[in-house]
Amino acid sequence: MPYRAKKALSATIYHACVLFLGFIMVYPLIWMIMSSFKPTTTVFTTAGSLIPTTWTGENYVNGLKGFGNVPFTRFFLNSLFISVVATIGTVVSSALVAYAFSRLPYRGRGILFGAMLVTMMLPAQVLMVPQYLWYNKLGWVNSYLPMIVPYFFATQGFFVYLNVNFINGIPRDLDEAARIDGCSPYGIFLYVIVPLLTPALITSGIFSFIWRWDDFLSALLYVRTSNMYPASLALKLFCDPGSSSDYGAMFAMSTLSILPVLLIFIFLQKYLVEGIATSGLKG
Amino acid sequence: MKKLSLVLALALTLCMLCSSALAETHLNVAWWGNQTRNERTQQVLDLYTQETGTTFDVTMNSFGDYWTTMATASAGGQLPDVMQHSTAYIQQYVDNGLLLDLTPYMESGALDVSNIGESVIDLGRMSGGVYGLCVGTNSMACLYNKTILDNAGIEIHDLMTMDEFMALCKEIYEKTGYKTDLGFGTESYLNYVMRGLGKSLFADGQLGITVEDAEYFFGLYEQGTKEGWLLGGDVFASLVAGSVEQNPMVYGSSPDTMSWCAFNWSNQLVAMQAAAPEGVELALTTQPSPDPVKSGFVACSMYFSVSAKTAEPDASIAFLNYFVNSVEANKIMLGERGIPVSSVVGDAIAGDLDPLTQQVVAFVNNVIVPNSSATPAADPDGASEVYATCRELVEQISYGAISAADAAQQFVETASEILAR
Amino acid sequence: MAQSNAVGMRRPGWAQRLKEWLCRESTAGVICSLPFIIGFVLFLIVPMLLSAYYSFCDYNILAPAEWAGFKNYVKIFTADAKFVKSLGVTFFYALISVPLRLTFALIVALILLKNTKMTGIYRAAYYLPSIIGGSVAVAILWKRMFAIDGTFNTVLNMLGIQSNIAWLGNVSTAIWMLILLSVWQFGSSMLIFLSSLKQIPQTLYEAARVDGARGYQQFFRITLPLLTPTIFFNLVMQMINGFLAFSQSYIITQGKPMNSTLFYVVYMYQQGFEYFKAGYASALAWIMLLIIGAFTGLLFLTKRFWVYEEGN
Repeated sequence: MPYRAKKALSATIYHACVLFLGFIMVYPLIWMIMSSFKPTTTVFTTAGSLIPTTWTGENYVNGLKGFGNVPFTRFFLNSLFISVVATIGTVVSSALVAYAFSRLPYRGRGILFGAMLVTMMLPAQVLMVPQYLWYNKLGWVNSYLPMIVPYFFATQGFFVYLNVNFINGIPRDLDEAARIDGCSPYGIFLYVIVPLLTPALITSGIFSFIWRWDDFLSALLYVRTSNMYPASLALKLFCDPGSSSDYGAMFAMSTLSILPVLLIFIFLQKYLVEGIATSGLKG
Repeated sequence: MKKLSLVLALALTLCMLCSSALAETHLNVAWWGNQTRNERTQQVLDLYTQETGTTFDVTMNSFGDYWTTMATASAGGQLPDVMQHSTAYIQQYVDNGLLLDLTPYMESGALDVSNIGESVIDLGRMSGGVYGLCVGTNSMACLYNKTILDNAGIEIHDLMTMDEFMALCKEIYEKTGYKTDLGFGTESYLNYVMRGLGKSLFADGQLGITVEDAEYFFGLYEQGTKEGWLLGGDVFASLVAGSVEQNPMVYGSSPDTMSWCAFNWSNQLVAMQAAAPEGVELALTTQPSPDPVKSGFVACSMYFSVSAKTAEPDASIAFLNYFVNSVEANKIMLGERGIPVSSVVGDAIAGDLDPLTQQVVAFVNNVIVPNSSATPAADPDGASEVYATCRELVEQISYGAISAADAAQQFVETASEILAR
Repeated sequence: MAQSNAVGMRRPGWAQRLKEWLCRESTAGVICSLPFIIGFVLFLIVPMLLSAYYSFCDYNILAPAEWAGFKNYVKIFTADAKFVKSLGVTFFYALISVPLRLTFALIVALILLKNTKMTGIYRAAYYLPSIIGGSVAVAILWKRMFAIDGTFNTVLNMLGIQSNIAWLGNVSTAIWMLILLSVWQFGSSMLIFLSSLKQIPQTLYEAARVDGARGYQQFFRITLPLLTPTIFFNLVMQMINGFLAFSQSYIITQGKPMNSTLFYVVYMYQQGFEYFKAGYASALAWIMLLIIGAFTGLLFLTKRFWVYEEGN
């Protein structure tokens, strides 16, 4: 009995602490959601109070109307397309390259790995113009190609390195055993590494999706026609310092824009946990 | 035979493609703005498509993003056929040969400017050509919270001098507690004051003012800081820079973080009033200057320009012509880009304007036009860096980190160096 | 190969030899690296070299670049007070925010490792700030929270601490607000820690329990050593990100007040896109690359002293 009471008490304390901290973490989101239901003129004057005095759905109506002839749903669909395709490319190509970097020694591998690290050290902002000029040469401007194709070539060092780190953590005895059974390096990748890499793949997937979803810089440069804008860029159209901005609509659309990301996260995070535990790994 | 028919079929398709391309003119148009502008402009484009068959691809962005996009696009030789332009950047685009000279088209009548005043055309005249057609005019103004002044029993008049204004700021602060935003971060205010001293900030691309002139300007902020009525950098750091909704004149919880006035463009009155709390009435007057008549000018709120590399110069001009001269189109836009430049259009839509916009039009026409001097030239290369230098120094003064004399010295040194490049 | 020799002396056919060649580790390594090699050549190296070239040019973006030799570099090192200032701000920010963020991320990851019904929701909640990221909404919120009459001061006053500081407007506190923001967005590091924690074989803990190791002993003997590669990874990545931090300052403070939050990359961006000095901005970028490269190199040199690697 005292043991159980103690356990219940510790569980309560645990949940209380986690919830309290959690509230601080999500407060901004709550604030944003609440603001999205306030009349747009009172968003700032009532910023101190969380709950709207008068609830309105007007911001959602205004926001979904979009700009010109393009409804906001179109922007969401554009974002979804770009993010999903680019994420698939990133996850697949990064895992494959990471496998080579971690497990398959060859001449020049170290230099390539170094080169990959170096590509991460140059600020993206300084590459904007040169990249634009290059894609312009390729005839890719005003299409989604610059925002999709490079991701199929493991151009984001972060994901490669992340996977390298995980593959390094997989005991080598496993691929050794597979090799003795006559498995080729490709087979080892597919049948040994990939299943054990699930948490890293899921993590990469989550990051990549969110980063692509939030990215507006490349859309700003490469997409010239407003009906091709992703949501991240379209959101910025609500705020124009030169004239009145519709912050209410911006909050409303930001809220809608976070939803898919949040759903994907909640859905994927349980795989992140299962991964290894269920695959019966022996030390 | 088979091959031949295939070739024929291909040729036929190609021809059809070509002819349809010929029949259908296509233009890329770009502008910055908010939802209202985006919507109204799109309506005008749709109308134009209905009337002429010309189709459009549009690029709309917020101001900052717009210039990033345009800069990269110009590097790739991909500027849109027709682009909205600003006095802040047009000179640099002209210097680099990126824009089309409109003079021949105005002479041939393709661009009908018969109802547009010569002085308005001149707003787009630089480097020996007309590279931007001003599509709306406005002027600088001091917007103010009339309610506060009425409650405190203070009356003000147009064309206040600097000394009158400074005394007023002090009085308002003592009576009401409201501070003054003395053009903090309003780039053009420096030149406005310099014009009042009979100087020009930029003269032929060089710095046109002396250390003493600059010290006069920075001294205003020093005095405001000492007397306590100047709204300083600590307040502005908590606000979204440039946002109308978070302008300290309409946003804040107590007088010591708020201002009774805002230095801005005259047409901002509409947006500001929309953002103001209920029961607050805004009005506008001239910005203070040692000599308001010397300082004042009619400004071009924005230009429309045509890319020098456009494949469709005639169609671009035709569209521009429609944009400024069509009564129908302007009845949709309702002076959202500034007071329409065509007198015919101006008269035709006057009745449709909302009362605030009418107030702005009246201010520009009745107060500014009769009491103003020549419009300054568009900003030279390096201007934005000079403005940033000035902004930082004003900020330092508001923190008491530097004296006006030192700031002036530093400003003149830095600015001359920037402009000497 | 030993097997094929044992089977017989007959020379294998070309298909067999091709297959063997393809399955050799070094060949497979190159083949699996191909995406990166192609991507590097096609999409990364050209823009990088172009920007390196621009760093030796006068380039205003609007007109073609003109060769200027070492002019930009000379100016940066001899006559640019803001370069020094922004470098200082950036070092301060990176060296303080990164360790804080990682510590926080690790602690929360350990707490959320426990599997309860609520864990999924908790994880989502703690990850949320990273999803919202550098959006305008966060900028507005952060300014609102730390204004003179903001939420933070209100809470302080309720606790009996009188405060009327404009946290973002005060030269000595503004940078800390950005550090706080960065710590608050610890989600990505947390996620990586979480998934590596799950990679540690449970059998090790079971064995330790049998040996009678207590919770904290298990943590220091098993968890922490096995986690060092991930800590190292996070450290390298976050250091790079810290030095290249941009959006926090750009959307919230724009370097204000008095340049006390002027991040290096923000300064670079101003030079490039606000003052149209893209050549100068490129030179700034390459100097930053060298600094980060040196830092990362140093980190890699320390690796063998504290990072646990299997088989070593």
